Amino acid sequence: MERKEIEKHILRIFHDEFEIENPENDIDLREAYGFDSIDAIELLAEIEVFLGFELTLDEKKQAMEISTLGQIYDYVENLSNSRD
Amino acid sequence: MERRVVITAESAISPIGRSKKEIINCLTTGISGVKKIRDDGLLSNYINSGVYGTIDYDIEYDFERKYRKTMGPVSFYACQVAKEVFEKSGLDKDFITSGRLGVAFGSTHGSPTVQRAIYEKFFSGSKEGFSKIGAVDYLKSMVHTTAVNITKMFGITGRIISSSTACTTSSQSIGYGYESIKFGLQDAMLCGGADEYDTTTVAVFDNLLACSVDFNETPHLTPRPFDDKRDGLVVGEGAGAVMLEEYEFAKKRGANILAEVIGFSCNNNGGDLILPNTEGIIRTIIAGLDSAKISAKDVDFVSAHATATKMGDVIEAQAIHKVYGDSPLVTALKGYMGHIMGTCGVLETIFTLHMIDEGIIAPTLNLDEIDKRCAMINHVTELQQKDINIASIQNFAFGGVNTSLFIKKIE
Repeated sequence: MERKEIEKHILRIFHDEFEIENPENDIDLREAYGFDSIDAIELLAEIEVFLGFELTLDEKKQAMEISTLGQIYDYVENLSNSRD
Repeated sequence: MERRVVITAESAISPIGRSKKEIINCLTTGISGVKKIRDDGLLSNYINSGVYGTIDYDIEYDFERKYRKTMGPVSFYACQVAKEVFEKSGLDKDFITSGRLGVAFGSTHGSPTVQRAIYEKFFSGSKEGFSKIGAVDYLKSMVHTTAVNITKMFGITGRIISSSTACTTSSQSIGYGYESIKFGLQDAMLCGGADEYDTTTVAVFDNLLACSVDFNETPHLTPRPFDDKRDGLVVGEGAGAVMLEEYEFAKKRGANILAEVIGFSCNNNGGDLILPNTEGIIRTIIAGLDSAKISAKDVDFVSAHATATKMGDVIEAQAIHKVYGDSPLVTALKGYMGHIMGTCGVLETIFTLHMIDEGIIAPTLNLDEIDKRCAMINHVTELQQKDINIASIQNFAFGGVNTSLFIKKIE
């Protein structure tokens, strides 16, 4: 999957599900938007739908270290490549 | 240490409206908030009772997503009345977040809507269904969801009391809030209750043959507290909140004092979990009078619990007569809105505050022919222009829980 497609989709999720408009790539999402662990779990569910496969428990745990949008892009890109 | 406690703000979401003006209009012109039950796609087609105390108007919420994400429908109601009470009270943010203010707020059983959604996924029997149970579903549906969504939204750091004792939930909220201030544990308490639209509660009473079923085509004619033709209770939805403050603090800051809370009691029948109990109610009322340091003859008005069940109303009338004789005027406010379960106590308190302020006492709606077994007390059957100095609001719940709250007009 193309990086641009991932970025476009993640930004749409942030807009539709979290009411966060165009967040900067390297800003701390918790500090800037109060994006907490509850939101992170919901984002993972959205990512599973987007990618079309279920994440393993380890993959989900890895996501808990993420704090910026850029890291989310990297995370989703790696997941996508892992199943190619 | 015993301190005086006053009510300084209120907010209601009731089947007969939100503002004092709307509520007084219904109380003085006999308008009911009971409507035909609306379709829930599950139980409404099977239960016998076809009536419901309904919120049939829109409420404009402006809660940000960071708050909404942990709120089920019941917390929307709760946070809305809390927000309005804070606005009306004039209390500033520094005080609200100081730890000197706490919350006593509950609901009958959290959010049934969210609980139902969880069970639908759970009983789908699939792994996919399991994984669809939301990360926040528990926070939205748990018993204390109203209280803690209020604390989150307003940054409240004081004590939390979240009663869930069915029909005495919000009367306990006010009572325990009152005691928290009276005994110096807090300087202010936001107190109340909320219940969202829910047919499982109707089904429970329906199966106990305790729900009204004879007026499904004429909802405004039921419930009929103390009336000879009463045929059971009508479940309803809504929310209410009041701000309680320590008297000197409220006075010093120039708060608008609506009334003083002068006494509260709560006890249990110590036996059956369903059957109404004369002796239990009598003990509660007497304990409440003792708490208020007044005698029975000092009470001008009793807001009866009176749900319009066959036996409950008779037992309550007997208890009122035993303690008060036929002295205080008695109104059953559920005639106007049905039985809003955990929320009835706070709404009946707010309606009573409005009547105290207006110098009126509303009649019990649909009380056309008094049941002879309930006739020994002083029923209000027509609108009366009368000053209430001291009023009692009494509520009783499944589980044998009884409460008695006493409020006094501020001179």
